[in-house]
Amino acid sequence: MDLDANRELIAAALKRVPAGDRAALQTVYRLTSAKLFGVALRILGERGEAEDVLLVLYMTFGRWAADFDSDRARPMTGLIAIARNRAIDRLRASKVSRRMEPIENAAEVADPLPSADQTLAVAQDHVRLHGCLGELAGHERAALRGAFFDGNTYEELAARMNVPLGTMKSWIRRAMIKLKGCLES
Amino acid sequence: MTEIHDHSGPPPDDLLAAEYALGVLTGVERAAVERRIAQEAEFAQLVADWEQRLAPWAGEVAEVAPPPAVWETIATKLPAQQQERGGFWQKIAGNWRNFALAAALAAACVGAFFYEGSLHRNPPLVAAIEASGNRSFVATIDTRKNTVTVVPAAFTGDATRVPELWLIPAGGKPIAVGLVDGERTVVLPMPATLMAQAKLGATLAVSLEPPGGSPTGAPTGPVIGAGKLTSL
Repeated sequence: MDLDANRELIAAALKRVPAGDRAALQTVYRLTSAKLFGVALRILGERGEAEDVLLVLYMTFGRWAADFDSDRARPMTGLIAIARNRAIDRLRASKVSRRMEPIENAAEVADPLPSADQTLAVAQDHVRLHGCLGELAGHERAALRGAFFDGNTYEELAARMNVPLGTMKSWIRRAMIKLKGCLES
Repeated sequence: MTEIHDHSGPPPDDLLAAEYALGVLTGVERAAVERRIAQEAEFAQLVADWEQRLAPWAGEVAEVAPPPAVWETIATKLPAQQQERGGFWQKIAGNWRNFALAAALAAACVGAFFYEGSLHRNPPLVAAIEASGNRSFVATIDTRKNTVTVVPAAFTGDATRVPELWLIPAGGKPIAVGLVDGERTVVLPMPATLMAQAKLGATLAVSLEPPGGSPTGAPTGPVIGAGKLTSL
């Protein structure tokens, strides 16, 4: 299962979750939990913590499901954001940064995932994002990766890449402005 | 969008949304942003747009199947079924709950056998805080770090009062744990005296109290939900 291979199924099940439909929640869980667990685990680096994130995510998302508008957004996109945000909140609360090894400046752009079961739209989004990440400077890309995948703060990234905090802030802000411009062009 | 040359002041909203979505902000900064997301629809949309832009990157993260105990716990803690479904459904729901509980216990045994490597050494305690089918918060107690994490589910605030968390030992009186928040996750420390009472079968409850919390050390306002602690 990839990001949105089951978009329609997930969206249909999400509509039934707020009414307390157990089968619908189970469907959403079956189709989404492995990706969300992977995302939380990557940020937290510890299974127990990632299990907690997953548990609370599915126990609290009735209201989110009620507000979710499947015409405007992809369900998996929203769920990934929730999983990342919960994992990062937890990382901040524990005040421990788990990934602090130095980041090399010239981080490679990983190839877009060559997954056969991706829907066309998602594959296109993925390729497009990778194309735009590829246009960034190596150090900018490396900094964004550290933030997105490891949940690092500005301060942690500055330490990992051995630059002043102000430099890291302007790298990332400039990179995000470039990224947005590229994605919207 | 204009280029930012000066990063001494607060960044414009779109950049702040980008920083939040990317995940570079500190806990305190994130709390401030989450409050704005809850209160300002326009700002919330900026954050959602950034999350949408970045989400495809998660395609690179490998899927990892969570242990079965996670779903079993979620299933046993589903809120009571809707009232409008009537008596028949509630009976079924009741049976389902019993079935799910048995299944969870069975899964916990199997899980202990097959998932030894992934099991928590100190499994968290979890409580769904709810009343008449409305779940307002979910709380998990980390028995290793001695903290309780309280995540809002569907809590609608009150203009004059704040939600306060209580620990009620089986057969005992409520002990104040701290103030929680209807809009964002709150992590509260659990001193040793509280941890000693945080056992299976104890209850967590939330009441509405004056700003700053109950002045008496006991709940003074209405209890909006409660739930027993169980183990993952």
